[in-house]
Amino acid sequence: MASLRDKYCIVGVGETEYSRQSARSTRAMAVEAVRNAMRDAGLGKDGVDGMMSYQSGDSVFSNFVAPDLGIRLNFYMDVFGGGSSTEALIGLAMGAIEVGMCHTVAIFRSMNGYSDFRIGGTGARAAQPVRGLDLAQVPFGMRSAGQNFAPTFMRHMYEYGTTSEQVAHVRVAHSKHASQNPKAFLKDRVTVADVMASRWICKPLHLLDCCLETDNATALIVTSAERARDLRRKPVYIMGVAGRVNKPRTDFHWAHGPISRVAGYHAKDIVFGQAGIKPDDVNVTGSYDAFTFTTMLQLEEYGFCKKGEGGQYVSSGIIELGGKRPNNTSGSHLCEGYTHGISMVIENVRQLRGQVDDYCPGWEDGKHSYDYSPGKCRQVKDARVTMNLGWAMPPTGSALIMRS
Amino acid sequence: MASVEYRGMNLVIPENDSEWREHFKLARTSHRLMLRACKGCGLMRYPPSHGCPWCMSLEWEWKPVSGRGHIYSYEVVHHAIQPGFKEWTPYAVVLVELDEQRGQPTPDEALRVIANLVTPEFRPEPEQNVAIGKRVRVVFQDLSADFALPQFTLTDEPAEGRVWRFPG
Repeated sequence: MASLRDKYCIVGVGETEYSRQSARSTRAMAVEAVRNAMRDAGLGKDGVDGMMSYQSGDSVFSNFVAPDLGIRLNFYMDVFGGGSSTEALIGLAMGAIEVGMCHTVAIFRSMNGYSDFRIGGTGARAAQPVRGLDLAQVPFGMRSAGQNFAPTFMRHMYEYGTTSEQVAHVRVAHSKHASQNPKAFLKDRVTVADVMASRWICKPLHLLDCCLETDNATALIVTSAERARDLRRKPVYIMGVAGRVNKPRTDFHWAHGPISRVAGYHAKDIVFGQAGIKPDDVNVTGSYDAFTFTTMLQLEEYGFCKKGEGGQYVSSGIIELGGKRPNNTSGSHLCEGYTHGISMVIENVRQLRGQVDDYCPGWEDGKHSYDYSPGKCRQVKDARVTMNLGWAMPPTGSALIMRS
Repeated sequence: MASVEYRGMNLVIPENDSEWREHFKLARTSHRLMLRACKGCGLMRYPPSHGCPWCMSLEWEWKPVSGRGHIYSYEVVHHAIQPGFKEWTPYAVVLVELDEQRGQPTPDEALRVIANLVTPEFRPEPEQNVAIGKRVRVVFQDLSADFALPQFTLTDEPAEGRVWRFPG
């Protein structure tokens, strides 16, 4: 089959504000985010004819979002899932366009992730009965994402000598980036000592090793390179995508080791193979930061450093703005807000355009100071290739490589 | 439908839950840890599932195991999500690697089970005693006449390999 590399683009991105009290429906937020992405692309209501979303039984469906914007859909699909869905849906949107089902697809995630359905299992989820596969873990007080992932993190420390101080640098870097992001829910920079002094949630996780929970919607628009040429923004080209790649035994991944290995081990050859590049060619990464550890595990699994050396990699300064390959320049889930991954993709789109919405007065015209002191710039100079490393769980992940 | 209240949770097993309807009942009635064993290749698996992940056979039978093993990894929960676990904090969740079928059918595979590390009185084992490599055995926490949770408790056997405890 012919390669689809560089034949599809992301042409529009948008979001709502990040809050903990949206006081409105997931439908209202999704409509605003999709509209923002369409305006960003310069598309009217006839410019979008496909829509996709992902959710966990906690959000609105595409066919209730489109009518609020006067959009008539030729294709829509809403899937069950959280992290790692965005990259997979981008690949599916390319396929839907390629076969002629539609020509332009809006993808969104809308969630009242703090004020209503909290991912950790508190809030509206707390009253649900425990049944099915949950019986293997939940009766033992293992329910939240942190509780689910912690044995993977612990085993990595046992096998490779990874330390809490090393992974705390992920929070330090992302908080630095958030301080340059007017949208970020948390804008204060933190230190390794701050992370280490924060209270225990679930060892080895301190509070500051964990991401935020917020209310928000985020959207992006995928179309063909031909259509992209006529639109408002400089197109960002999709070079490769891997969607929801799994380790063996995803039902109970503890059964198949090593448990410190994550899905990127299986996804990397798919995505790098399509893109025809190597990790060294990537200028900016977006490694899913549900936790400090998830960023570290994925960066090493995709080959940005050797397996087991993730702790050294994330504490070396490489992943900070001003470093060789900054990661999650928006501050992402640890600091900006929680979106199940889609915000990390739109941040990389903005990086590739050279139009990151930082505090530089001329950001929209691509004028940046590259001064990374607090409250200034977060544009990476000459960002040409970005990579997103999406995480659902240790055994499931997605990846996306884009270029300017 | 089997239903039991435990720590504020409603654990539910409908009659058509062909994965779980026998697992906790067998734990209660036999007080042995029973796993599904493939009738095709003989390999056991956990959690209960219909097909064999190695030979695709759909034929299986229950087989008892010793319930002995070691802590392969763990975590210590300080901030309980479930309200019923708050009085238990800090409590350890352990990933136990059972003695049977270690390194089979590939070197990285094993029969591993999630449970709490508890004292003989079914209280959480103090966290300073929890470490990778320590030996454990199964104990059964009876919740009703037809439902028991398999839990694990420390034994005084020599540890399995290097003993490692989270330094924090």
